[in-house]
Order: sequence, then C-alpha cells, then structure tokens
Amino acid sequence: MDLLDDLVTLLPELILAALVLVIITTDLFLARRYKSVLTWVTVAGLVLAGAACVVVWNINETVYEGFYVVDDLSVFFKATTIVIGIFSALFAPSYLAVRRIPLGEFHMILVSALIGMCVLASSSDLITLFLGLELMTMPSYLLTGLHKTDRYSNEGGLKYFLLGSFASAILLFGVAWIYGLTGTTNVAEIAAAVDGTMSGALLVAIGFLTVGGTFKIAAVPFHYWTPDAYQGAPTPITGFLSAGPKLGAFALLIRVFADALAPLRADWLAIFLVLTVLTMTVGNVVALTQVNVKRMLAYSSIAHTGYIMAGLAAFANAGDEGAAAQGIESVLFYVLGYAIMNIAAFAVVAMLQRDTGRFGGLNSFRGLASRDPWRAGAMAVLMLSLTGIPPTVGFFAKLYVLLASIEAGLAWLAVIIVLNAALAAFYYLRVIVYMYMRDPEPEPAPLDTSPLGSVALALSVIGVIALGVFPGAVLGLLEVSAASLF
Amino acid sequence: MDGFPLLSAIVFTPAVGALLLLFVPATNYRAIRAIALIAALASFVFSLRLIGYDTGGAEFQFREDLPWIEAFGMRYTMGVDGLAVVLVLLTTLLSVVAIVYSFEPIKTRVKAYYITMLLLMVGMLGVFVSLDLFLFYVFWEISLFPMYFVIGIWGGPRRIYATVKFVVYTLVGSLLMLVAILAVVIAHGNETGTITFSYEALRGFGYADTLQALAFVAFFLAFAIKVPMFPLHTWLPDAHVEAPTAGSIILAGVLLKLGGFGFLRYNLPLLPDASVTFAPIIIGLSVIAILYGALVSMVQPDLKKLIAYSSVSHMGFVMLGAFVFNQQGLQGAIYQMISHGVTTGALFLLVGVLYEQTHDREIAHMGGLNARLPRYAAMFGLFTFASIGLPGLSGFIGEFLVILGAFQYNGLVAGITMVVVIFSAVYMLWMFQRVFFTVPSDWMRTHWSSLRDMSRGEWLALAPLIVLVVALGVYPGPVLELISAPVERIVEAVNGAGMTGFGPLW
Repeated sequence: MDLLDDLVTLLPELILAALVLVIITTDLFLARRYKSVLTWVTVAGLVLAGAACVVVWNINETVYEGFYVVDDLSVFFKATTIVIGIFSALFAPSYLAVRRIPLGEFHMILVSALIGMCVLASSSDLITLFLGLELMTMPSYLLTGLHKTDRYSNEGGLKYFLLGSFASAILLFGVAWIYGLTGTTNVAEIAAAVDGTMSGALLVAIGFLTVGGTFKIAAVPFHYWTPDAYQGAPTPITGFLSAGPKLGAFALLIRVFADALAPLRADWLAIFLVLTVLTMTVGNVVALTQVNVKRMLAYSSIAHTGYIMAGLAAFANAGDEGAAAQGIESVLFYVLGYAIMNIAAFAVVAMLQRDTGRFGGLNSFRGLASRDPWRAGAMAVLMLSLTGIPPTVGFFAKLYVLLASIEAGLAWLAVIIVLNAALAAFYYLRVIVYMYMRDPEPEPAPLDTSPLGSVALALSVIGVIALGVFPGAVLGLLEVSAASLF
Repeated sequence: MDGFPLLSAIVFTPAVGALLLLFVPATNYRAIRAIALIAALASFVFSLRLIGYDTGGAEFQFREDLPWIEAFGMRYTMGVDGLAVVLVLLTTLLSVVAIVYSFEPIKTRVKAYYITMLLLMVGMLGVFVSLDLFLFYVFWEISLFPMYFVIGIWGGPRRIYATVKFVVYTLVGSLLMLVAILAVVIAHGNETGTITFSYEALRGFGYADTLQALAFVAFFLAFAIKVPMFPLHTWLPDAHVEAPTAGSIILAGVLLKLGGFGFLRYNLPLLPDASVTFAPIIIGLSVIAILYGALVSMVQPDLKKLIAYSSVSHMGFVMLGAFVFNQQGLQGAIYQMISHGVTTGALFLLVGVLYEQTHDREIAHMGGLNARLPRYAAMFGLFTFASIGLPGLSGFIGEFLVILGAFQYNGLVAGITMVVVIFSAVYMLWMFQRVFFTVPSDWMRTHWSSLRDMSRGEWLALAPLIVLVVALGVYPGPVLELISAPVERIVEAVNGAGMTGFGPLW
C-alpha cells in the first residue's frame, strides 16, 4: 500500500484541491445573497488543511520517486501558506462585493494559488518545482486582473502575466542548462553532481536561475512589474500577492540555491549580496517618494525582499552549519512575520477604499485616528512593525536577519540593513503622521467596517504583537524546519 | 528579597493604567485624568520602596530573572543599582508632575494623551531597570515613540517637522546600537560557547579592539544623540519648542538622561578599552558643548529655546564628568543629571504656566512680570538660580564635582568649564531680568489685566520639585552614597584600560 502511504503525505495539498472543487460546485448552487457562505467554506477548508499540516509534520519523507519531499521545511512553508490564505480570504469579501467582483471565483483562484505554493515548497525535483511555480503564478495573474472592468487591474494583470511568463521561461532555460550539465533534475543529485566544481556553463545556468528566481521575489533590478501589478490589483489581493507568491518564490530560491546549488554557495554569494543591497536600498528610496499608500507598500515590499535575501546571503557566507541554519531560519521567520503584517496593512488601505473612487492615497488616511481610533491604532501598530520597532514581529524578524548576518560575518550588511530601516521609518511614519497629526478631509473616505475584516485585522494585530513579544513560540519549529536542509 | 516583583510593578503599573484607559469613554475627562494619575502615582509609590536599596549589599538588588526567548539567550532580567534607583525615582516623580500639570492645558484627545504618557513611562523606567541587553533595547525603542506622538499630536505649529526630526535622529542611532549589541553578544557567544544577552555576563569581557572601537562608535551615536551631544544636538531645540509643556518636562527631565545613563551603564563597563582611547575626543566635544550651549543660549529670543540650549550646556557637564573617569567627575555627572532633570523640568513647567496665558514665549514680549506675578517670579527665580549653580541649590553640587574631577584630568579643561559657569549666570540672569524686571513691553501690557499668578494645580505640580531642588542642594549625602558604589565600579572597569592596537590618539 505504498501509494496510499504516499497519499497521506500529500494531505494538505489534497484537502486544498478538494476545497477548490467544493468552492466551484457550491458557487453554482448558491443564490447571490448567500454567496458569503463561500468565505466560510474556504476558511473552514483552509483550517482543515492547516490541521493536516500538523499530521504531516515530522514525517520527513521523499515520495513519488524523488519528485516530492515532505520535510519539515516544506510543512512550515505550507502552514505559512495557509495562514496567508486564511487572512486573504477574510479580508477580501467586502472589498470585492462593493466592486461586484465574483466571490466564488476569487476564493477558487486563491486556493489554487495556495496549492501551487505548497507544491513549490515540497518539490525535490526541478520539474516539480517548475510545475508548482506555474500553478502558483497563473492564478496570481488572474487575481491581479480579477477586477475586469477596471483598466488598472487589467493593465497590472497583463504586465504581470507578460513579464512573469518571460521570467518563467528564463528560469526554465536555467533548469535546462542544469539538466544538460548534470544529467538530472533531482535536487539532491544536482547537489552531488556540482559538488565543488564550478564551470563557465554552470555560471550561465546560475545566471538564468538567479534572474528567473529573483524576478519572482521582485528583487531589484527585476522588480519593474511589481508596482504596477500591485497597484492595479484589487487591494486585498495585493496584500496576498505581496506575501503569497513571494513566499513561494523564496521557497523556490531555497530549494534551488540553498539545496541544489548549496555546494556552489561561495560562487553565487557575490551576486546575491549585490542584489540584496540594491533591492533594499532602491525599494526604500523609491517608496520614500510615493504619495499613494498602496504603491508605497508595493515598493516597500521590494525593500523587505532585500532584508529577506540578506538571510540567504548569511546562509551562503556562514562559516559553520549553525550559522548557515540561522540564515535559513531568519528567512522563514521573516516570511511568516512579513505575511501577517503586510496583508493586514493592505487590508486597512482596502477598508478606506469603500468608495470606489478612492485609490489608497495618503489623504484618505488624514485624521483617521479621530474618526476610527481602533483601525488607526491597528494601522499604526502595523506601520511600526513594518519599520521594525519592538515589541512587534517586524522587529524580531529584522533582528533575526541581523543576527544571522553578523553571525555569518556580514556585519557590514547588517549596518546597511539598519540604515535602510531608518530610511523606511520616514515613509511608514508618514502614514502615522497623516492618521494622527493631520485633520480629516472635509469629506473623509467612507470606511468599510464589515465584521469579517475587523476580526481579521484584530487577529493580525494580536499576531503581530504576540509573535513580537514571544517569538519563542515558533523558534523551535523554525529550527526543526531549517534542519531539513542539512 | 521578597517574592513581590517590585521592578515589574514599577514599570508595568502605567501600562495597566493605559490599558484601562482604552475602555473609558473618550469624553469622560475626569475619569481619564484620575486613572492616569492613579497609575502614575502607584508606580511612584512602588518606586519609593527602592529607597530601601542596601548600599552595602549586592550590586543589583530587587532582581527579577525569568527565561524569555531561550533560543537566543534573551532573558527577562531586571535589577537596580544605586544609579538606577535615583533615576527611577526621578522618572516616576517627574511623570507624576507632568501628568498633574497636563490636567489644565491638554484639552484635545485627552484619552490618547494620557495613554501615550503612561506608555512613555513604561519605556523610560524599563530602560533603567533592564539587565538584559535585548530587554534594554526593547524598552529603549518603546520610550521613543510615545514622545513622537506627544510632540506630533499635541505640539506647536511646526510639530510634524520637529517630531520627525526627533524620531529619525534617534532611530538611526538606536538601530546602529542594535547592530553593536548583536555584534558584542555574538563575539562573546563565539568565545564562550553560550549566547547570552545578560549585561552582567557581557561586561568586563575583553572584546577585541576593532570590535570595541566599532561598537563604541555605534553605542556612542545612540547615546550621544539622546544626550544630546554637540554636534548631534540639533533636534533638541526644535523638539522642545514644539513639544507641549509636559512633553518638554519629560524630554528634558528624563529622556536626555537615558543617554547619560546609557554611557555610564553600557559604554564604559562594556567597552572600557575603547572608552579610554576615545575619551579625549569626547571630553573635547563636551567642552565645546558646554561652551557652545552657553553662548547660543545668550542670543535666544524664545524662552523654551533658551532653556533647551542651556540643556546642551548642562548635559555637556554630564559627559565631561563621565569621561574624566574619576570618582568626583562621575559622581558629579550623575548628580548633574538628577539636578538638571529637576531644575529644567521645573523651568519648562514655569514657562508653560505663562505660555498657557499668553500663547507666547518671546523674551522681548515680556518684562516687568515681577510686579504682576510675584509668586510666579519667585519660583522662576529659584529655579533660575538652581540652574546657574548657586550653592545651596541642587545645580551647584553637580557642577562643582564635575569641575573638581576635570581638574584632576586637565587644568585647561577645568579652567574653560569654570568660565562657562559664569556665562551661564549671564544668560540665565539676563533672561530673568528681561522677563521679570524691566518695563513691561507694549505687547505684555495688552495682556496685563488677564494675567494670573500660579494656580493651585500648578503649585501642586511644582511643589515636589521645589522641595527637591533645595533638599538636593543642602543635603546631597544620601544620593551621593547611593551612587558611590556604581561610580567606583565604573572607575575600576576603566582603570588601566585602553586599546593597545590603536595607541594614544595624540
């Protein structure tokens, strides 16, 4: 009964796949005014999939002829994926309803993307990896363009699709070179084959893989699609895009660079360092000039990509296994913390877009503190967390990256990170200035106060603070997860 | 030690108050003020228990030690030595004063205001009692943002510029300090095999010279910006001018002391070699700050700005005393911090009293107030003299000790410093004369009839400071005794230290 045993390891993915079908069929039979049931179905399914993650925790098995690996690293990614999915599903409905974007389609496409992320996290073969990547990004394109009657949404979707496919092709080309050089697509076999031997051809392969991979995480200079795609997409979906596909892409980078190409880490380190510094600095400098909060958050998400990449650089530069593991752990923690705070931040922007003529400009935030102290307070906490102020998850995430960088002998990188964080304080605090220190507009933006979104926002803020004060709760899991790589 | 977590109670009572305030209706001003005052008072009362600190006992008393984030050796460790005791008392007292004083002038967003003030208290107190570098850093940052809100929401016309400047200056310094903390911790961890953030474990460890030098620069930036030390002081006048009165009281009274405390608690014992090597530069900067602050104060047209610049000068004394590394200098530095907190806090409070009535702080707009407001003038005079350093009032002891310490270091430095003491008499007395004696300005005449002398609430807020400024001036014994052991430890730590690799800097 080997097949059945293997199936059990796929439990989270299977539940998600079943959930897609359930959503489609339920959607068919639901009257329009009962559509909100779909959100509950989705959330219930996701919670179930989350429970399944507990089942597959600690299995650490490679299944399906080495194509698929269910190690703790992948399970951690899957659990984070599901957290992202739950928050996205809770935040989106009221925004979509005002704009008459069909809820069923949204949930169904969202869950499909989640499956892609799970597959990506679990792939131990470059073919599976590519499959997961496409399964994740195709729905992402659709989500970006989901607001069919909106030009910007269409533009964002199209740009994302064109540039995204281009990058996928480049990545695939890199995979082909690797196959040509090593004769295998299996991650572990590649690692064995490239051990210690660097060649010009391998450099070309690494180049293609780097371009394709860093495009997906939106690292500078491959970030140009991000602001337009993020701004065009319906706002709660932007929150998902900034967290979900980014998580998937980091899973991809870890599988390719920290696993398959780990023996060559000394060779790809230099290019990663350059990209890391460029990414955080350019992201922050450009975010500084934005007057639209949605676009500002889009650029700031590029800066955060840079901080996360620093964790990978720490992995590559580490002198011993402990320091290397810490690099990976810092990536995992950052991705989790970033997902929680960023999705919520976009959600607050969305709440101020109840009036469809609002686009998330800074002025919508004017005087929010006197109009709605709770939401303003939540946004303030999120902004402080994104800046990296204790006691929030954003602070601890940054601390983790700093710790890993210094431990790996990259103290100068740590200095660049904190200088960037100080720069970022300017634009994050600007939102707080508008909320707390300026008077409301004469006709303030109407607020979306749906209970679903409010509860999700409260949960996010509690999560942001709880993980900031007691990060110890997940540190143990991180350690086990990162250990799968070594 | 009994089982009661006294230090946690001191630090977190205000937080409990802030939490309660969240659930009070925003229009019920009486309840809001009452809860804020009770929370601050409770914290003050708890802190009085610290007077029982046994100067002959262990270095850190009232200790609390709980595991926190074990993966990285971060612990919830608190404890106080004599230095922390006096600063905690100063903080709780000034916070109560600031809260009592705010009852009248703060009329907008009252609830948010008191929540912010209480959170500010949490941050400041936490900094003084932490014995774990991570815990310290967390509180350090927590103490920053409430002040950002206080200036930005309840401040003057250019408040946003001032508050952003304040935050960005401070944040750059503190983030670099974070890197330095981590570097020190990792260096210690690599050497000993255990990662720990414990202050007691990390100090006195012979870090490599390069690390010490770099870490010193980072710590120095964080603390020097806070002090603020010339040439990093430019945020201070802006922040003071725009801050509401209570904000200024706390800013001058406590927040600046966080910087001085940081130097004494962290820079010197953690990085003694770098401290000794860099000391001449810092002493030079301190002397410039003392002189520069005094000279610039003379020409200030705005009362608050004048007091702000005089703070630069007075805090220069603190830095000078700290870096001459002898008993007198260090004791003087600490005493000067306390005294400056009391006198400058009181002066800002008194400026606020007038400002609430006239909405103006131009010295040129005043004059002759002694005739109209005799009691107010008397109080202003008292604290003016305390600030100058008149014997019998608190300011004298600190400055005297610092100069005494400076003499042992270098006669020239002490000489310059003594001349500046005369300058400080010039600018303070000249200011006092223009405000209270000369003929009232035309502008002031238009307000003449509406002026009132100090109200009962203002007396209430000021009373403890009056008592303290005299008591500290005539009977410095208890405080000096409290701080003598910490001072000895610092002297011991830096004794014979110095970076071998760098050699003398000149």
